[in-house]
Amino acid sequence: MEHHLSSPKRRFLSGLFGGRKGDRISVANPTSIVSVELMEKTGIFFPDAHLDPIKMAELAAAGYEILGFDSIMPEFSVQQEAEALGCVVDWGSPSMMPDAKTHPVKEVSQLHIPENLLEKPSIRVVLQALELLRKNYGNQVGIIGKVMGPWTISYHMCGVQEFLLWTLIDPDKVRALLDRLKEVTIAFANAQFKAGADVVVIADHATGDLVSPKTYQDFLLPVHQEIIQRIGGPTILHICGNCSDRLRLFVEAGFDGYHFEWQVDAKMAVQTVNHEMSLVGNISNKNVLFGGTPEDVYKQTRYSIEAGVDVLAPECAVPLQTPIANLKAIVEAARQGW
Amino acid sequence: MFQEEIQRYYEALREPKINKIEELVREFIEKHVSSVVILNEGLIGAMGIIGQEFKASKLWVPEVLLAARNMHRGIEILKPELLKNNVPSKGKFLIGTVKGDIHDIGKNLVIMMMTGAGYQVIDLGIDVPQERFLEAIDKERPDIVGLSALLTTTMLEMKEVVKSIPKNFSSPPKIIIGGAPVTRKFSEEIAADGYGEDAIRAVELADQLLMSKGMI
Repeated sequence: MEHHLSSPKRRFLSGLFGGRKGDRISVANPTSIVSVELMEKTGIFFPDAHLDPIKMAELAAAGYEILGFDSIMPEFSVQQEAEALGCVVDWGSPSMMPDAKTHPVKEVSQLHIPENLLEKPSIRVVLQALELLRKNYGNQVGIIGKVMGPWTISYHMCGVQEFLLWTLIDPDKVRALLDRLKEVTIAFANAQFKAGADVVVIADHATGDLVSPKTYQDFLLPVHQEIIQRIGGPTILHICGNCSDRLRLFVEAGFDGYHFEWQVDAKMAVQTVNHEMSLVGNISNKNVLFGGTPEDVYKQTRYSIEAGVDVLAPECAVPLQTPIANLKAIVEAARQGW
Repeated sequence: MFQEEIQRYYEALREPKINKIEELVREFIEKHVSSVVILNEGLIGAMGIIGQEFKASKLWVPEVLLAARNMHRGIEILKPELLKNNVPSKGKFLIGTVKGDIHDIGKNLVIMMMTGAGYQVIDLGIDVPQERFLEAIDKERPDIVGLSALLTTTMLEMKEVVKSIPKNFSSPPKIIIGGAPVTRKFSEEIAADGYGEDAIRAVELADQLLMSKGMI
């Protein structure tokens, strides 16, 4: 075990708030770092780990125990809310992430948010896993929760293409959906804080690969501002893809951190956000963690550290075939210090 | 067609209300403009501008989805006239998302752009097993086959499909691949004929491949 001048949790929280530098940069995972290899090492596999709180917590803890990350994040899929709201979800397999099979909402009136949302099995499992992690690791390790924002939940409920087209042909419908679905995000996030999360990731994929910064500004920025106000606790925004053109809007929204991709250059991002929001990222999945060698990971990691990223992390949920050696290489590079 | 007229088609494709494109196509039919000109210069010409603007990040996916919806409606109105003229397509393009992958927004963007560029597109849909690709190639005899994958897991399936096509056909179609995890390096490794990083590049690739075959 590494001699800690600072505990993983203190290191992570300090990075999240852009604070004291400490012994070294923190390595965290706002999104899943589970791979088939990690499942084999723990003996806990998908899809069980999406639906059983003990298995979910144990597999998530392997990110700390086996990979040496400073955080534990138990929500591996992006479909927990979708199932609770009525989508049919295929929970996948060890080599396949879950996916919503149906998109039942074509009109706002068809959207039904159950009163017992937090009691729905796919929601409750995450809350119970967080409680277990808090109890077993809470003093030592950063506990990260994760919820989907109203934009991402709309993709699942309505279908991506339909929802994106509505932004142009029926913007009122989009606003009404976001207005109602933000209540799901707020309720689930607040429950995750109560269950023991130190910080909650809000994943809301208004990505540069799909929509313009203006679309984010018009539709989502005021919604995000309200969500952050009503949650109160620390938040990290996750939007993958190239979002170089909207970083200032994320600052304006008020997130504590932004979890970003390799496509967004770390040096540019550090300059643009100017320490008004922490940057968490941005080791490339496609070319490096999945497709590269530990040496490739090392090079990218050092680049991100030198650029001034606040917390290191894989850029997004890692591909399930990612080798453990590559994930550990992030931690190794971080351990070399500043 | 004059530049100002193509501009009117462009504006109609950008219009959230679908009646704009309906009125415009009807207006040109009534003016006795050839349906081939309306299609190739008006609708396809305007879609080309949309494609270029999308590539240059001046437009985004919602605008492309809207333009594709409007264009589709324009072609529907034009169809009776086109049938009278028997317009040939640029080439036949067969596309599907490989087995294990159900994500289709990238594939659908490619279809919109290929249709918009004048290709006849056959969409096999999502989660398409190797046998279905082979059966469809045998039946349809496409000039080009496009394979799409969003997941890293399904890239391996892509490799199998790419390998199987030349084995099964004496004059196989050209194969182009794309999707979020796919790279040029991967495309070269599995010996596909081309890699497109986005939907516009897919059209350019298809044009180049057909040109090298002397088809256009």
